[in-house]
Amino acid sequence: MDDGWMAGRLLLNFEGVSGEDEGEDLPSSIEDPTAEELADAPEDEREVGEEYLTAYFEAKPSGYLVDPQGLLGTREGKDLEAFLSHHAGDSSIDMYVYVFGVDQRIPSDVREEEIVERLYADGKPAAVIYYYVGAPQRSAMYLSPVITDAVSAAEQRRALESSVMQAFGSNIPSDQLEAFLVQMSIRIYWMERMAQGTAAETEESIPGGENGRSFTGVKVQEEVAETPSWMKRVGAVTAAVFGGLLVLWSAVAWWRGRVRFRFPEFEVEPRLGGSHAAGIGAVISFRNPAIPPAMQRKQVPDYMRRA
Amino acid sequence: MFGDVDVKLRSLTDTAGIFRRNDRDRLEDEMERIGIVFPQVFVAVYTGSVGEIANLRQFGFWLLNRGLFEDVPVEKPNEAGILIVIDPDSKAAGMTFGYLLDPFLAEQDTFDCLSRAHAYWLEGRYMDGVLKCLSQLRKLLRKRSRQARRDPERYEQKVATPVAVGDLVRKIREGNRPAVAQPEEGRGVER
Repeated sequence: MDDGWMAGRLLLNFEGVSGEDEGEDLPSSIEDPTAEELADAPEDEREVGEEYLTAYFEAKPSGYLVDPQGLLGTREGKDLEAFLSHHAGDSSIDMYVYVFGVDQRIPSDVREEEIVERLYADGKPAAVIYYYVGAPQRSAMYLSPVITDAVSAAEQRRALESSVMQAFGSNIPSDQLEAFLVQMSIRIYWMERMAQGTAAETEESIPGGENGRSFTGVKVQEEVAETPSWMKRVGAVTAAVFGGLLVLWSAVAWWRGRVRFRFPEFEVEPRLGGSHAAGIGAVISFRNPAIPPAMQRKQVPDYMRRA
Repeated sequence: MFGDVDVKLRSLTDTAGIFRRNDRDRLEDEMERIGIVFPQVFVAVYTGSVGEIANLRQFGFWLLNRGLFEDVPVEKPNEAGILIVIDPDSKAAGMTFGYLLDPFLAEQDTFDCLSRAHAYWLEGRYMDGVLKCLSQLRKLLRKRSRQARRDPERYEQKVATPVAVGDLVRKIREGNRPAVAQPEEGRGVER
């Protein structure tokens, strides 16, 4: 085409004839940047690598924990996945956690809100959390569009803040994540209640169908009167309270099961020639039922006690 | 009295044969759970005939110092061990613990743990007794760990080496000695 003839070419060329002459010196097409030029360009190394973007954002994840970079240990990952599955079983709002590195950044062309709208618009409502291992304060939370209206932005912010505060109870990143998720699970319970409350209100405030039908005859009104709204509300609240308590209890039970107890290690001077132990504990006899433990209390000779 | 060589054994050694196979599994699970909840600590149970009651205490002391527990991870030395010895012949049981737990456990604590098992052991229900004993031990260790985290100095003082009287006297004397000769010598060197 460049070498071919075109009608009005001279008129269409704003730079006139002289430009055409200069055009001979210019390259026929714009060359791609060289490798050196690309290397010189400011590249944000902290951005999540392109190879992981598909795994993170292309489709709705199969599990609740999304960690394609393997930032969490295998066992940690399994534990957290188990916890999130457990949460999903108890709660009407699933919790999806996307794990990133402490100073990593999501590329600017990925819009987190858009991801949530695209992947979590259908199906069970979900809370999507972008968590930065070792930097819980950078976390962000997005809710499925279905429940966004029911849970105020202030409540979402409070949930996030309280979870971050819980996370800061420890310096160990894995413990921080655990504490964060346990707290978030509890806060989601409150969101759930809010969402249910709003649903109940919506039924009452927009009963267009019921009001419309009420004009058609008394019978319909009687049917409505059979199930008073306060009873519905009480039922919903009771169910929500029990559900919430169950979630809370599960979270606490899971948390307690994970607690480890340690002792400070002090230097102890060896005694009685024992290289590992001289903790002379009690001895109890169970030969005679007439001698209960209370009668065996004083038994260790004084020379065996610590001075 | 019991020998001066190390003895290889498992953390659950039922020489007396008082536990059934299923019981043994249950007990091993419980012992393992304690090892998980308290990552520094392990529990060992030995059953066998020791002889007189007086020997039981000495035997526990000897076994925890001489025992090489094959199934205990190497990062848990015997200092971190809690050994329960049951002698079904003399009908007595004892508990010994290593230096790691020295600041946190007292004889009274071990007595409380063993007391929980007394009623069961009277009836020959050894397994139930040991499980009760371990359950009490678990509660106690949990409590002590929390207390130690809140106030470690209190426990450190329990095992702190007392200052020798001789050292104390020397310190007092040094404090009262007129400091004349030394500075003079120092000046002399400078010149």
